[in-house]
Amino acid sequence: MPKSLEHTPIRQRDALLQLALPVITLGMFVGFGLVEPAMLSAANVANVLKQGALFFFLAAAQLVALITRGFDLSVGACVSLVSVVASMAMTTVTVAAGPIAGVAAGIATGLLVGAVIGAINGALVAYGKINPFVATLATMSIFGGLSTTISGGFPIFDLPRTFTFAFNEAWWLFLPAPVTMAVLVGMALHFVLSSTAPGRVLYLLGDSPAAAHAAGLRVRLHLCLAYVASGLLAALGGLLMTAQIGSGEPNLGTNLVLGSIAAAVVGGASLRGGKGTVLAPALGSLLVIGLSVGMNLLQINGQLQPVVIGAILILGAAFDLLRARTR
Amino acid sequence: MTSLALFRGRTAVPLGLVAGLPLMLVAACVLTALYEPRFLRAANLMNVLRNASFLSVISAGQMMVMIVGGFDISVGAVVALTSVGTATALVFLAGWGLSGIGLLVLGCLAGLVPALLVGLCNGLLVSVGRISPFMVTIGTMSIASGLAAHFTGGSPIYGLPPFFLETLGNGRLAGVPGVVFFAAAVVLALWYLQCQSRGGRYFNAVGGNEKAARQTGIDTRTYICAAYVISALLAGLTGILLTARVGSGEATLGANLMLQSISVAVIAGVSLKGGVGKVQNIVLSSLFLSVLSNAMSLARIDSKYHVIVFGVVVLIAVWAEARGTRAEGSDA
Amino acid sequence: MMPVLSLDTTLPCEPGSQGKAARPLLQLDGICKSFGGFQALTDVTFDLRPGEVHVLFGENGAGKSTLIQILCGVQKFDSGRYELFGQDIAGLSPAEARRRGISVVFQEFSLIPEMTVEENLYLGHELTRAGRLDKSEMRTRVRVVLDRLGFDLSPAARVSGLRRAQQQMVEIAKALLLECRVLVLDEPTASLTDHEAGQLLAMVEQLRGEGLGIIYVSHRMAEIDRLADRITVLRDGRHIATLPRERASHGELVELMTGRTFEKFYPEIRRDPGPVRLRIEGLSLPRGLAKNVSFEVRGGEVLGLAGLAGCGKSEVIRAAFGLEKSSGGKIEIGGRRLYHHGPREAIAAGICYLPSDRSREGLAMHQSIGANATMAALDVPKFSRRGFGLRLKAERAFTSEIVDRLKIRTPDLDATPDQLSGGNKQKVMIARGMSRDFDIYLFDEPTVGVDVQAKLQIYDVIKALAESGKAVVVASSELAEVLHLSHRLLVMREGRIVGLLEGAEATEDAVLSLFFDKRAAKEERGIR
Repeated sequence: MPKSLEHTPIRQRDALLQLALPVITLGMFVGFGLVEPAMLSAANVANVLKQGALFFFLAAAQLVALITRGFDLSVGACVSLVSVVASMAMTTVTVAAGPIAGVAAGIATGLLVGAVIGAINGALVAYGKINPFVATLATMSIFGGLSTTISGGFPIFDLPRTFTFAFNEAWWLFLPAPVTMAVLVGMALHFVLSSTAPGRVLYLLGDSPAAAHAAGLRVRLHLCLAYVASGLLAALGGLLMTAQIGSGEPNLGTNLVLGSIAAAVVGGASLRGGKGTVLAPALGSLLVIGLSVGMNLLQINGQLQPVVIGAILILGAAFDLLRARTR
Repeated sequence: MTSLALFRGRTAVPLGLVAGLPLMLVAACVLTALYEPRFLRAANLMNVLRNASFLSVISAGQMMVMIVGGFDISVGAVVALTSVGTATALVFLAGWGLSGIGLLVLGCLAGLVPALLVGLCNGLLVSVGRISPFMVTIGTMSIASGLAAHFTGGSPIYGLPPFFLETLGNGRLAGVPGVVFFAAAVVLALWYLQCQSRGGRYFNAVGGNEKAARQTGIDTRTYICAAYVISALLAGLTGILLTARVGSGEATLGANLMLQSISVAVIAGVSLKGGVGKVQNIVLSSLFLSVLSNAMSLARIDSKYHVIVFGVVVLIAVWAEARGTRAEGSDA
Repeated sequence: MMPVLSLDTTLPCEPGSQGKAARPLLQLDGICKSFGGFQALTDVTFDLRPGEVHVLFGENGAGKSTLIQILCGVQKFDSGRYELFGQDIAGLSPAEARRRGISVVFQEFSLIPEMTVEENLYLGHELTRAGRLDKSEMRTRVRVVLDRLGFDLSPAARVSGLRRAQQQMVEIAKALLLECRVLVLDEPTASLTDHEAGQLLAMVEQLRGEGLGIIYVSHRMAEIDRLADRITVLRDGRHIATLPRERASHGELVELMTGRTFEKFYPEIRRDPGPVRLRIEGLSLPRGLAKNVSFEVRGGEVLGLAGLAGCGKSEVIRAAFGLEKSSGGKIEIGGRRLYHHGPREAIAAGICYLPSDRSREGLAMHQSIGANATMAALDVPKFSRRGFGLRLKAERAFTSEIVDRLKIRTPDLDATPDQLSGGNKQKVMIARGMSRDFDIYLFDEPTVGVDVQAKLQIYDVIKALAESGKAVVVASSELAEVLHLSHRLLVMREGRIVGLLEGAEATEDAVLSLFFDKRAAKEERGIR
């Protein structure tokens, strides 16, 4: 902590820390832009926004779990399984009843799968009292395995054009479809977290489960609901990523778990629970995706990117600790 | 006397599945043998034993970290990094004209250096930096696997000295794979640490009640840090042995070992809250999982199903532990 | 330092050196200590001589624990002088204190739950032979110590499987296993049976004979009578008096402990009993925490629950609120039976419980004051639309209202409780009582760790509630508080109600005799 901050009042100091991330994110974009002007081209910015939007869903899923002082390591497996199952439903129904019904069926099954995975996680954590880390580690293994077995390990092709067009290529409300979706979902999530009773309960129980229980709140129910919400958000992300790739991929989410945690924590969610707004996954995913795209543009070896993400993770956690200490 | 006291003196703690672990192991062996007599062939049994050895070594390290109340997510990546590091060092040193035992020892020691660094990094960030072990090790995992992939550039490192492959990879003593002896040595050393030395108790004390341990004058930071270093070094050893077995330095080696090591530890009754864990149970648990996996292979169950089964087994194990501690808590 | 059994070795201080001439083992002068804004100790003086039992006496929150923590290096003091064995001490770590011969038995659990008795006793000082743990030797020595203390414990038993009393014995044995010159016992008999306590007292006498200096914290008069050489009374973090045992009558001690000025301190609460709001009949809790407890509270009155820590008073009101499971009896709210349930049902029935452990059960420390104050009322139309959409404006208005009304000192309305002082945290929790229409208020230790100013304000809240027709129950270990606030006072001991005092009967003497005196207790047991 720089000395100069020591004498500022709590509020101001908090505000400074709040501002740090947007400034760093912006600085990163400007920095890359100075070295490589292509970074700030309209096409690239649209690309970053689109990738960031897809990533936002997973980071948001992680945020909801983090608020309850939990984890959701199964978001990646959820994305994979949703991608496979939704694609299978979509192709089957499309053959039988046309593309519109197919897309609807695919989306419905995808969301259902996400909700079921979330409910299983939630039941294990809230009612089974199993440590969320191990519970979701195990379900990650189970659902990841399911997605490879169901698909036989091969991608599922022949998705209806309607689907890939509407959810990837099309522009909704002057923005690429995934970005519009992310903004809408982000706003809805923000409303739920900040202005509804269930959202408030998540923060309270994440901060102190005993106090929430003594205040008559339904701790276990809400904990379970948090994981359902997390599963649904991951499912949405999985559907959009499937639309982007154009096929159902059994390994779609495998490498996204780490990044999702990194983005949420760097953005300001706390591992100690009870903290973080929608801004956390939003800014966090912009930072992580921006770095990744920028490094690609600078032709930095793709294999070094995990090294950067790992460093961000540790720095984010250290930053989180700093925030807790300065309070 | 003392070794007997280990088993006799202590009151049993309800630790879920652990009490039934030997029984489950025997049952798994008997059922598999009945279903598929090929299970009992010497070659197959040696195979099971070899797998269990790899698992035991890496899970023993995981156990030490869990005893001090943490997790080590980076073990798998350390295996990969060590594999790449050892292979590079061996090829490099062989190029200098070194050979025989000297090459072997120097190459392996050089290969362990990155593991040691990762371990120290984990340990210091957790114990001194007070950062969540989960975040630290997930971060170092990302860094270590990224570095391993970067150094290989995506293709395995071939051309390892034949002596290395013959001794560490395929070496046998009295018909038993050399790996088994390495594992036995590690297990014995940890058993000695846990049951016969002061230090072993301090690891448990730090994980059981850190504040009380500090008040007693135990340097809790040292023990937390040491646990991560031990874990990384054992992961490194696993990496070297696996490299010798596979015959090349690979950046994808050990991808499943993180999950498996945590599974083994959880099934062995190592508490997620810290303070509890015995290396003997790690051995039993590793054997159990290896038999289970072998049985599924013999039954021609697709390897894709194995992860699912492991996930379910882990869930049952933690669930049993959660129930056990709750029952204990309610009548305390 | 070689681990030595203090029980059968001669100690560095020869016995018989006691008396006025002996140099004190430790001496504190003008010690001050504050936590945040809370002044825990002000100018405290204390000394301990070899071969004496020095009793620390005072109410909860009087500063006894802080003083002990400073003695053994767990806390640093702000100003003053600390001299140990003739040396000035500036910073003392717990390990250093232990090495120099200060052993402490805290009330707080300091064992490793998953380790055995033997492992815990020798933790940090294990005996080794040629680098290997000398288990047989340790076991033998542990047996010797346990036998001499008369504790019926197996060295191989795991601590997590022991009863609380047994764990307490392990703590005591741990303190005595190593050589020590100063022994601090913080309410060591609180969870022991009479027989076990008797053995402990005999042991303390024996250790005193061997020349140890012993600091003994206790509320139990019988123990003080039997053991004390000198008694130091603390009140509100200040040193009130140090008396030799002969000069300290029970009456005088209690007077010093509570302070006469307190009469004016408490508000006069008008009594206007209305209908019965809460009736508890034959309530029993598992493990004998409460046995056949019955009472009723009317609207417009304050019922006090007094008793020593661990007597069951807190558990009884927690059970009424549904935080503890009862094993028998019934609870009626306004004539209707409440089938438990849980806090949710209790709150819906109109009960407000304000827990004693505010940092664990009372508050979400990192959420805003408003979120904390409305926590139990998220389903009320005032704060949400059909229990879903929050009315954030109403919440903010309510927050600024309670900040004004309870005079919560806070930087702004968005502050979180972890930024506030103890008294203000407590007020934030109490604000919850105003968030919805409760009929019954259960206060559990309402003024623990709270400064005098906040205390007065909390008493005013209790007065306002009672006078507006609410039923109020106050459970407190601070005798003066319950004595002066309540219209009727129930005294509990070992899970039973041992007396009901009303009006003029409710005097300190009467209550204390119920606390301590068994014969009195038997006579009173008939009373409801």
